[in-house]
Amino acid sequence: MATFMSIDLIKYLCNCGKKCPICRMYLCKHCLKLRCIDCVQHEVDSPYCPSCLESMPVSEAKLKKNRCINCFDCPLCGHTLMTRATSQVSPNPDDPSKAVTRKMYYMACGFCRWSTRDVNLPDQNVATGNWPVMENPNAKRISNLLENYKLIAQVEKAERERKKYVKRRSHLYLQEKYNMSPAIVKRKGMASFSSLSLKEGDKTPDDLDQSETVSSFDPLPTEFFTKPAALDKITKLTHRFMLPEFQPDETSKLHPVRKHLLMRKSLRCSECEHNLSKADFNPNSIKFKIQLTALHWIPEVRIMTPSTFNLNKETVVTLTLSNPSVFNTTVTLSQIENETDTDYCTAKVELPKKEIVLASRDEASMHVYEESTATHDFKDDPKLIAFRKGNKVGFIVKVTPVVKDSDVKICFLLKHEFRNTTVAALQSESKEPEIVWLEHKVYLCLGTV
Amino acid sequence: MELQDEFYNNAQYIETASGNKVSRQSVLCGSQNIVINGKTVIMTNCVIRGDLANVRIGRHCIIGKNSVIRPAFKKFSKGVAFFPLHIGDHVLIEEDSIVNAAQIGSFVHIGKNCVIGRRSVLKDCCAIADNTILPPESVIPPFTLYSGSPGKMIAELPDCTQDLMCDITVSYYQHFKPHGKGK
Repeated sequence: MATFMSIDLIKYLCNCGKKCPICRMYLCKHCLKLRCIDCVQHEVDSPYCPSCLESMPVSEAKLKKNRCINCFDCPLCGHTLMTRATSQVSPNPDDPSKAVTRKMYYMACGFCRWSTRDVNLPDQNVATGNWPVMENPNAKRISNLLENYKLIAQVEKAERERKKYVKRRSHLYLQEKYNMSPAIVKRKGMASFSSLSLKEGDKTPDDLDQSETVSSFDPLPTEFFTKPAALDKITKLTHRFMLPEFQPDETSKLHPVRKHLLMRKSLRCSECEHNLSKADFNPNSIKFKIQLTALHWIPEVRIMTPSTFNLNKETVVTLTLSNPSVFNTTVTLSQIENETDTDYCTAKVELPKKEIVLASRDEASMHVYEESTATHDFKDDPKLIAFRKGNKVGFIVKVTPVVKDSDVKICFLLKHEFRNTTVAALQSESKEPEIVWLEHKVYLCLGTV
Repeated sequence: MELQDEFYNNAQYIETASGNKVSRQSVLCGSQNIVINGKTVIMTNCVIRGDLANVRIGRHCIIGKNSVIRPAFKKFSKGVAFFPLHIGDHVLIEEDSIVNAAQIGSFVHIGKNCVIGRRSVLKDCCAIADNTILPPESVIPPFTLYSGSPGKMIAELPDCTQDLMCDITVSYYQHFKPHGKGK
């Protein structure tokens, strides 16, 4: 749906103050609060290659610079290169009069037809894993710098720790001065910084070549003015950025790009640090070990049909609410008091005053389409409830736009029952799940005046 | 926004016992090689090339107008071989798309006017934006959205893509009604 229908029309307010479509939100079952994708902690579970779908541990991916060993991208168009096999006839080393055919492999792009033969890369005799790796010309300098900054960070950390320590436990610091017993030192976590400060002496952060300031350039060679530009042989900026460490300026210097890895993420609640979503380890799988997406727990509001609005004229709009829970759920809608943000409220809305009972979701009957088979014993006010179908209910709101020449936007407070089945199951099996009332602010964009 | 009703001319569609709705104006070549598992809608002017290799389409799929489904081939030293094409459940293929894939998983959304290159593999829960060209032998991992020419990953899909795609394909089928029948 995220790609088929516009999901931005209806947004729920997250606890962090951001408004998000419900499919991008999670409900933490421990804090009972909505969390959007931007206010949860993201963790890398397992990096994987999007082409060969091979996953690896984070440490291994780091070692490989987050790129796949076996898969390459085309340096021109960025599509994954295909390995092609050819047979090559070469003289037999034992008997020069006979010829042997050997299978040789090269890589070609199925989209732009670039191939490793275009840049005179020799064919390989094995299909994968033997392609030469280009050495970064600045590798030594980068590793030097990295080492240096790590050292600086360590020293700074030690200093910070010492300061914290001095402030909090000044008496202990004195004790250390007078040779405190090593056991206490260890327990208080002092061993780390004392060892750090010792190491500090053997390498100082500034024994590193200073980078030189460039003060003058060579003048532009005259051939740029005299010779016609060979545009077909010069790479574009995007090609150069694909290989930032080499930045080839001619097409003949292009080299296959190792494919970037993607990653499987797990999400944690930023407050209680419980897992909100944890995908299966296998990159092929679409199952989740833990999945607390809001869509499974919170009634979803949708607009039934697009309608036309006139300024200061009441229009009847049908909204639908669907119940994701296996219990009947009671919902009440109310105005948001003193909503000042006119960006999100450009119309007056008359909401149903009575509470609405949503029928439970029944997975088995979801696929039965005969209407009127499901008989409800809800006594509905036909002025309020437009229709009922399975776990879905259509209800009527009256909207009066008050702001000229703008989108018709309304907001209301959605209050619904929530039965925390997982927590109840943990406590005792016989106990009925406890009913909690949850409140969410919902923002809708209905159309234009 | 809920899906809106879409009406079709009752005489133009054949409804099978398992609930498939197949347009009479679609071209199903080699129909003995085509398996459609039920509640799938195949709209007008679709072409499904069952004469090349087996085509299996899962439940609750929607094949939009003017789209072409044809099994992929691969050249070998001794000629050409066609590969059977499997399409999973709850797959939505929109209008004017050409699908030349080797495999399409479940809960996949292919937009309008796309070309899915020869022997591409689309895993479960992925999406292809409108007007995308996927080159031959692409692999689309789960929970990614591909767009452009050549198709590149531009976004991640939400974790609940499976539920969303289920909801769309089921309600599309419910809203795909014949004229004068139903409410």
